[in-house]
Amino acid sequence: MTQTKHIEMYAVRKSFRFFSLRDLSLDLEPGQIMGFVGPNGAGKSTTIRIAMGLLAADSGEVRVLGCQMPEAQAIAKRDIGFVSAEMRLLPHATLDWHMRFVASIYPGWDPVYAANLVKRFNLRPEQNVRSLSHGEHVKAVLLLALARRPTLLILDEPTTGLDPVARHEVIGEFMDVLRDDSRSILFSSHNTVDVERISDRITFIDRGQMVDSSDKEDFLERWRRIQLQLPAGKMLPELPDVVSRVNDGQFITLTTNRFSDDWLARLGDGVSAVQRMNLEEIFVANVMHHREARGQ
Amino acid sequence: MSIVTRKLIGKELYVNRWFIGGGALAGLLSVGIASLGKTGFNVGALGWITAIIAHGVMLAIYGIMNERKEHALQFVLSLPVSIGDYVRAKLVGLLLCFLLPWFLASGAALILIFAKADIPDGLAVFAVLLSVFMLTNFSLVLCGTLHAMSEALISAVIIVTNMAVSLFMFTVGALPAIQKTTTAKVPDWNPTFWTVLLVELAVFFAALTLPLLFAARRRDFI
Repeated sequence: MTQTKHIEMYAVRKSFRFFSLRDLSLDLEPGQIMGFVGPNGAGKSTTIRIAMGLLAADSGEVRVLGCQMPEAQAIAKRDIGFVSAEMRLLPHATLDWHMRFVASIYPGWDPVYAANLVKRFNLRPEQNVRSLSHGEHVKAVLLLALARRPTLLILDEPTTGLDPVARHEVIGEFMDVLRDDSRSILFSSHNTVDVERISDRITFIDRGQMVDSSDKEDFLERWRRIQLQLPAGKMLPELPDVVSRVNDGQFITLTTNRFSDDWLARLGDGVSAVQRMNLEEIFVANVMHHREARGQ
Repeated sequence: MSIVTRKLIGKELYVNRWFIGGGALAGLLSVGIASLGKTGFNVGALGWITAIIAHGVMLAIYGIMNERKEHALQFVLSLPVSIGDYVRAKLVGLLLCFLLPWFLASGAALILIFAKADIPDGLAVFAVLLSVFMLTNFSLVLCGTLHAMSEALISAVIIVTNMAVSLFMFTVGALPAIQKTTTAKVPDWNPTFWTVLLVELAVFFAALTLPLLFAARRRDFI
């Protein structure tokens, strides 16, 4: 039996006065962690708000946990934990009150796990949420989302503004969630280090359009930076899939998104170095390449 | 009404508990001051009106505008509710938060009018109309705040409804049938009273219905 995809977005469009999301299609399978990467203002939060039913797409299809969004959002959100960096809890109430409030709504609330997270995140339940620091606030929001044991976790830049230790703790918890392979995470960030650490699938978005989407390992295998030195008078052969080319006299640096041994063999003897690229380098090269291709 | 909507109504009562207590205390204190002679009556009456209006404005600002501005709305909407559920819970929850001190303050004012020999009982007619007007005014603030997405528009709604209280006192208070009864020993619940009351209640129910028809059906809420 085929399992229902946790997120299905097809040809989604949403226009604002100064920004448009264009023909975005996205799939998230059960058990998958998708890193949703884009620069500031790329459309990550808009996409996530559409997935949560907080915004309605102008056109296209959006289904989350099998529910049509935004119409069936109340049903879908029974199994979604949503956290965003800017989300704030209710003032004039303690963390303990929030925990009891959320527990009374979600039958799947796990009090033991919640108590465990309070300890691990070093939070004080009796503390009024107004007096929490930014990092503590993000952890408190995460605790409330995680302890309800959601099938789908939607995280909008959750690590923004956290110190390295807090980021480490928080990301560790995401990994724990994925021990149950029926759960999945959509994780938006512009921090490629976090995304590279936890995601198994990555989608790049820029200026309201999807740039590329693939398995993390596929990205890391396909992308290479090659340095070569051409002998005087010799021309570089015509090569497909060159994303960027930087000339410095006889020295040339090529970036490709379709690296293979055959491709490398076509360059001949002049190759001096073949470098693997990290996700940040792939992301920047990918975005710049697409901007050039679109004439932006 | 879903269980989550009921929980959200309970949440409104909890997070606004200090406003409810403060509003009720200020209303009762004002009525207490109004019982202390002629000057006390004038000061107390002014305090009573201010307490009820300010309570409504605080609820609208902190209950709706700040929840949106400070992104606590994202937390509320991450719960298993639709936009319609949220609007219904806000309407009922904040109305209850307003009604509790409003009932106490209005009830205390009427008790004072009927209990104090030097205050004509006929004043009860105007006091009832003014009380219900302030309730209607709150429903308009609630309606405006649930629809308006900008802070400037919400501020405008609050200013206009505040000004309306003075206008009401000058115009309705000056109606001969109402003016005549304010100094009478026995309240005259005359047709003018019932007409004004009916208009107030019609506006009150209309202001509570509009968000259910429009804000609750909005597809973009953040």
